[in-house]
Amino acid sequence: MNPGLENLETSMYYLMFAAYLLSMFSYWVWAAFKSELMGKLATALAIVGFAANTAAIVVRILIVQRPPLTNGYEFLVTFCWGILAVYLFAEFRYRLKALGVFVLPVAFLLLAYIAMKMGPEERVAQAIPPALKSQWLTFHVITAILAYGAFAVAFGLGLMYLLKHKFELLKKSDGLMTRFPALDTLDELAYRVVGFAFPLLSLCIITGAIWANYAWGTYWSWDPKETWSLITWLIYAGYLHARLMYGWKGKRAAWMAVFGFAAVLFTFFGVNYFLPGLHTYA
Amino acid sequence: MSTQEKSLTDKIWEVFSSMKLGLALLGIIALASAIGTFIPQISLEPEKAKTVGALWQTLGFTDLYAAWWFHLLLGLLGVNLVICSLQRFQGIYAKTFHQKAARTLTELPGQARAELKGNSVRLAQVITETLVQKHYHLVRDEWETGWSFTAVKHRWGYWGSLITHISFVILLAGALVGTLLGFKGYFMAGAGSTVPLKQIELSRGKVSQTFNVKINSAEDRMLANGERDNWYTDLSILEGDKEVARQTLSVNHPFTYEGVTFYQASFAHGAALTADIKGQKIPVVLQDQGGNFFQAPGTDLYLVVAAMKNDVQNPVILYQVYQGYGFKLVQSGQLKKGESVMINDAYQVTLDGYSGFTGLQVKEDPGVSLIWLGSLLLLIGLMLSFYWRPVVISGIYNGGETGGKLVLGASGKSKSLLAEEFGQFTDKLKNSAAN
Ligand code: HEM
Repeated sequence: MNPGLENLETSMYYLMFAAYLLSMFSYWVWAAFKSELMGKLATALAIVGFAANTAAIVVRILIVQRPPLTNGYEFLVTFCWGILAVYLFAEFRYRLKALGVFVLPVAFLLLAYIAMKMGPEERVAQAIPPALKSQWLTFHVITAILAYGAFAVAFGLGLMYLLKHKFELLKKSDGLMTRFPALDTLDELAYRVVGFAFPLLSLCIITGAIWANYAWGTYWSWDPKETWSLITWLIYAGYLHARLMYGWKGKRAAWMAVFGFAAVLFTFFGVNYFLPGLHTYA
Repeated sequence: MSTQEKSLTDKIWEVFSSMKLGLALLGIIALASAIGTFIPQISLEPEKAKTVGALWQTLGFTDLYAAWWFHLLLGLLGVNLVICSLQRFQGIYAKTFHQKAARTLTELPGQARAELKGNSVRLAQVITETLVQKHYHLVRDEWETGWSFTAVKHRWGYWGSLITHISFVILLAGALVGTLLGFKGYFMAGAGSTVPLKQIELSRGKVSQTFNVKINSAEDRMLANGERDNWYTDLSILEGDKEVARQTLSVNHPFTYEGVTFYQASFAHGAALTADIKGQKIPVVLQDQGGNFFQAPGTDLYLVVAAMKNDVQNPVILYQVYQGYGFKLVQSGQLKKGESVMINDAYQVTLDGYSGFTGLQVKEDPGVSLIWLGSLLLLIGLMLSFYWRPVVISGIYNGGETGGKLVLGASGKSKSLLAEEFGQFTDKLKNSAAN
């Protein structure tokens, strides 16, 4: 292994960490004090962090000569990448700067988790067991990352909806709330984001099944991680139908988007750390 | 009587075609699945599962995903989906293929509206050009004092949810076929041994195939950098004594013969020995750590390899011999490659060398093709639902050649897409009407 590359990767990791942290604070300051300068800075820092994030992933690929998707560290860094990719797209496409107030903390907390919980030995590139040597795994994890990233953004939109709703009930016209889009727009956007992510999550589960079938001869074994990805899938399927049926738009849909992301996080963290199973090494 | 009976069937139909039931089932299935990840399951933690309360065990909570009531829930979801799809089929078919031009203002789609005045011929021409160019499917109607049209873009999108629902039924069917037919089993065998498929240990189903599996070699290969490359098994399929197929498989590279698939699942080290019983030579392969034993014919002696040095060139084993039902240890010692020893004065064994042991998962699942079909349809259905959203634009023109009034209406699943499409369309019409 190349120590130069490894140092570069470490620098990129810290740069990303710092940029996301500062970006998060800048979004908050922007929201609290309506400072346009801070708003620009927040976005700029998010972009710097995203670039460093991309670089960290590319360098890791160069080091390990395979997709960087086979241990918890690699997955989290790529997960952050997915969140920021979907977020930055949403900010530019829909002029949704306020979303950053809620989404950046998610990315930052994931990275902070790596920094606090994972020892250096968990972060280094490791040899992978033969079962993980499969192209399907690459598809499996890439789709997971984009879907999870989008669900994180839907989570942010759900929070924004709930806050704005609360403030409108109290008839307070707080400065921050005026920066949020209208309730209807938030609701519609969350629906679109879930609609983008749901097929990806389905593809993630299917590619996982194909891979498991090659590796173990069973496409589905009710291993806790599989089961939790199915539960997440069912929750979002529920979200889509509830909206159509009871006209569960608005508040309840927003709660479901928040709840769905909790299931996403549990699928990743809860299962790895609390429940037994095949996926514990992935 | 008969009216009552009919209303009962109607009621059942109604319940099963309702999305309310569907939503409730999705919720209950999600909840039950979640519970199963917190209660120890027989398939994952057999020892722990036995310590769960007897009532819960009887109710199937420790084998939840195989419990009758869990399957019933999935079955109900399947029935729900089939009935709901039957109910919606005609409407969707009509919407796609028998689109009618609106005749009255109330028939116009109502999510967006616009009105404008203009020249009848000119407007009709611009509408046709614009919509056809944008890949709308257009139908028109005409009467003495006016005309109307309805145009749909992405009309295949109407099929998205229906295809998604059917695909889930196919997935359930595939899983059912796999459970009812086919089998799943496992065996571990050393290089050189032949295993009749009928004799492997099964966790589900029955083997009907009569062929034998011969393990030609089993290897644990390393890469130059010291990492594991893969485990490789070279096996032959024998019908009687005749070799009918031969293949090398490894993790992630299974091999299928007559619907039976072999998967490399695990690997262990072992020793190849020869037992010489009064001149009769029998090849024996024993797994490290006492993974299996050899009982010489006509004796109650059990020979195991208790430990070994996994040096492929110069293996050394620690053997042990147990006797009788009490498994009393009667002999033990070390053996190097090429060395021989008498076992309890009954027979002689020689260590011929190292032998790999391969652990193969064996499965026949005729439902798998349904699973892949269902998966494919699921993706197609979801793509149509979310990436191919229909937009309907419809309009009615009333009045004379010039100065008549055109009322436009539009709807679509995605508000923003609709607003964009409809905005562009009305702008274009207004511009051309002004000319
Ligand atoms: C595994 C279970 C299910 C999945 C994955 C699923 C998936 C979907 C999807 C993706 C849509 C499109 C949603 C949208 O465009 O926002 C949809 C719509 C719909 N689903 Fe389901 N569904 C499931 C179960 C059910 C059940 C049990 C029912 C009950 C009858 C049902 C009834 C409907 C109806 C009526 C629509 C509305 C279609 C429309 O208005 O376009 N679904 N479903």
